[in-house]
Amino acid sequence: MSADVSVKNAATKNAAGALAGLRVLEFTSAMAGPWVGRIMAACGAEVVRVESRDFPDVVRGYSRPDDPEHVPRPGESPWFTDWNAGKLFVALDLRRPRGVELAVKLAARADVVVENHAAGVMDRLGLGWQQLSAANPRLVMLSSSGYGATGPAAGYVSWGPNIMALSGMAAASGFAERECTMDQYAFPDPMTALHGLFAVMSALEHRRQTGRGQYVDLSQFECTAGLAGELLVDALAGLSVGATPSRQPASACPEGVYRCSGEDRWLALSVQDDGQWAGLCRVLGRSAWLADAGLVRADGRLERANEINEGISDWTAERSPFEASEQLQAAGVAAAPVQNVDDQYHHDPQLRGRGFFELVEHLTLGTVTACALPLGLGDTPAASGVAGAAVAEHNDYVLGELLGLSAADIAELERDGAVQPPAGNEKGSNDQ
Amino acid sequence: MFRGVATAAESGSGKAAQGALAGTRVIELADESGCYCGKLFADMGADVVKVEPLGGDPARGINPRAPDGNEPGLFFRCNNSGKRSVTLDLEHAGARELFAGLVARADLLIETTPAGYLDQRGLGYGQQSQANPALVACSITPHGRSGPRARWKASALTVEAMSGSMHVTGYAEDPPGRLAGRQAWTAAGSWAAVSSMIALWHARNTGRGQWIDISATECLASVAHITGVGKYLDDGIVPRRSGPGLFASVPSGTYRCTDGLVYLMVNRPSHWKALAAWINETTGNKEVLDPMFEGASSARLPHRELLDIFINEMTASFTVDQVYREGQRRRIAFSPVNTLADLAGDEQLAARGYFVEGEDGLRYPGAPFRHSATPWQGGGHVPAAGEHNRELLLGELGLDAERFERLVAEGAL
Repeated sequence: MSADVSVKNAATKNAAGALAGLRVLEFTSAMAGPWVGRIMAACGAEVVRVESRDFPDVVRGYSRPDDPEHVPRPGESPWFTDWNAGKLFVALDLRRPRGVELAVKLAARADVVVENHAAGVMDRLGLGWQQLSAANPRLVMLSSSGYGATGPAAGYVSWGPNIMALSGMAAASGFAERECTMDQYAFPDPMTALHGLFAVMSALEHRRQTGRGQYVDLSQFECTAGLAGELLVDALAGLSVGATPSRQPASACPEGVYRCSGEDRWLALSVQDDGQWAGLCRVLGRSAWLADAGLVRADGRLERANEINEGISDWTAERSPFEASEQLQAAGVAAAPVQNVDDQYHHDPQLRGRGFFELVEHLTLGTVTACALPLGLGDTPAASGVAGAAVAEHNDYVLGELLGLSAADIAELERDGAVQPPAGNEKGSNDQ
Repeated sequence: MFRGVATAAESGSGKAAQGALAGTRVIELADESGCYCGKLFADMGADVVKVEPLGGDPARGINPRAPDGNEPGLFFRCNNSGKRSVTLDLEHAGARELFAGLVARADLLIETTPAGYLDQRGLGYGQQSQANPALVACSITPHGRSGPRARWKASALTVEAMSGSMHVTGYAEDPPGRLAGRQAWTAAGSWAAVSSMIALWHARNTGRGQWIDISATECLASVAHITGVGKYLDDGIVPRRSGPGLFASVPSGTYRCTDGLVYLMVNRPSHWKALAAWINETTGNKEVLDPMFEGASSARLPHRELLDIFINEMTASFTVDQVYREGQRRRIAFSPVNTLADLAGDEQLAARGYFVEGEDGLRYPGAPFRHSATPWQGGGHVPAAGEHNRELLLGELGLDAERFERLVAEGAL
């Protein structure tokens, strides 16, 4: 069975990792929750994720955009790989008492529980902090929810882009005339996951010193609002934010994006000091600018920003952003192409040279390529375990090896409905 | 060489609960790209000593200014409260010795110097870890310390460009957009803090620290990985800017109400059913109930524009607040499109006591996460450059007063 391969890889892929020996239990879905355990697994932690067939992870509903039948590929979604490689998957029905019992047993042997259901769901299942910490006083539990565990809006439903809008980030981003500027990658999800992991590791350090676990309540709304930092403080102080087109306070001049030759090609440029200004003038062949005493300093250049930006655009319009960046960097100017994913994968010697694209073993696809986790750990590098697990993929290992149940016990729990068995050959279509 | 003396955190009021990282010693030799990492540690109660050049960190000058008009600006105030500051000129041998002494007693060094800078001054990880084998040193640079572009000049903007973030932010008809703030540095700082904590966990179990090489470009590229290589190699589509909706979620985006915009995202089949029922109740639209729209978002992908018309017909008769409240009551992910200033009146943030008041009387963002047993300690005192020179160097490193004055006179600190 492939389960042997996947257990071996999920459980021992990075036995020398920095977090080897740590045990993590997840009740998660989508991204903001699962990414926490994904990173820990790549550092050698044992990460068990509890799923239910009746409430499938939206990511398992993924189908290829060009598939006219929209057939879900539950283990083959690239995002499912990105957020779940290296985990052990067990399927329980948490509406059944014996399902909850098993979950509590898993929590009793865990160091960390991560969950990202709407506030209140875990409590109602009998798996809230009160219940789990009673079973395991050393437990560290992270609840990541849209609005936090308390307050009148606790329990509201949200996704990453909702949080962008709610937090004011979407309104503050982008060009001034736009009321709502959105990124396509759900910025709050990965950022709150990183903050959640930092909070968990901090709580583990506290436990190391005191022997006591604790609960972490992460509100994605609050976490994301904080990332607006000085702009939020400024807005609350009733001041206007700087007047540059991207609403960034001017720290460099000229600074911005400039259209290059080709379809949707752009150069990003920041002239951060007077030396870079001289370098820019030389590369553009603008000796008059270089000689102009009024342009030596950034505030003088700011006053004549239109003239300067037009001059730069004239130059970039005849070049690719790659050619322009190389020339400007050779002169010590901070310039870079606005890259898309194809540029990054095929033409970026820096990302490729540093191993940013990781080949991940996949249960049904052989291998897939994913963005590496950029932890940069010199002595204990992160390494992704196997991807592509189906619902209930590791039931036998988790229930048998980790909880010590016999095959007969497991069969009985399956008859009870508390344990949901693997779908066998039908796996895939049933998971929707 | 140096006496071990309690840090300010340890000697503070003994009764108050301590932060989760009380007792962790961090040295931060960082420009604007690294201070968010140090902030995360300081807010957890770690003793973070910021080493600044003699004139102070240039990030003190970053706009916007506070209403009082004084330096440091709000960026610096947000990211450096609760740290202690020493000023050292690392071109001076005496200052380098003091820096080495600070690092020798630290758990973590966060630094943003260019490749080779510390090695050339006898302060590289190889040298530092001989005196302190458990030391974790975290380098944060725009492109990482290795590779053909390691020495490329960079700003938050150019990192955002290289990372792929800008290409997919904003509107197709606009130039590439930027997220508000300096998210290249928050992404790098968050990853750096995570990696540092993982390395500290390992160091405390094994006695061995390690060196960490953080690339801000990789950090933001990994944060943007939904539009990254995994999806691209699967379906061959190069994602780009596509307005307020997300390309894979239908419906998603902004919808017009009588007094502003709401944001909506539907991913779950049950959320679509609830929305379709509400549209039908409000507008009498029967077409919206067609079963062909049901299921995962992928089933609705070909119908995005039509469904947007249906939704706008409904939202147009309500206020933002009405859609938000009633939508949430029906378990549909509606949210207001707030401005940052709107957060001042948000009842959820108010009920949870989110904002903290700084020593300047301004409201600052509160805790990004809340620990039940250990307090978050953000929003405290913002140090002046070199404010803690005496306390740290005389009081804790045990430098004698005469030598201290001589180093000051020589311009070393």
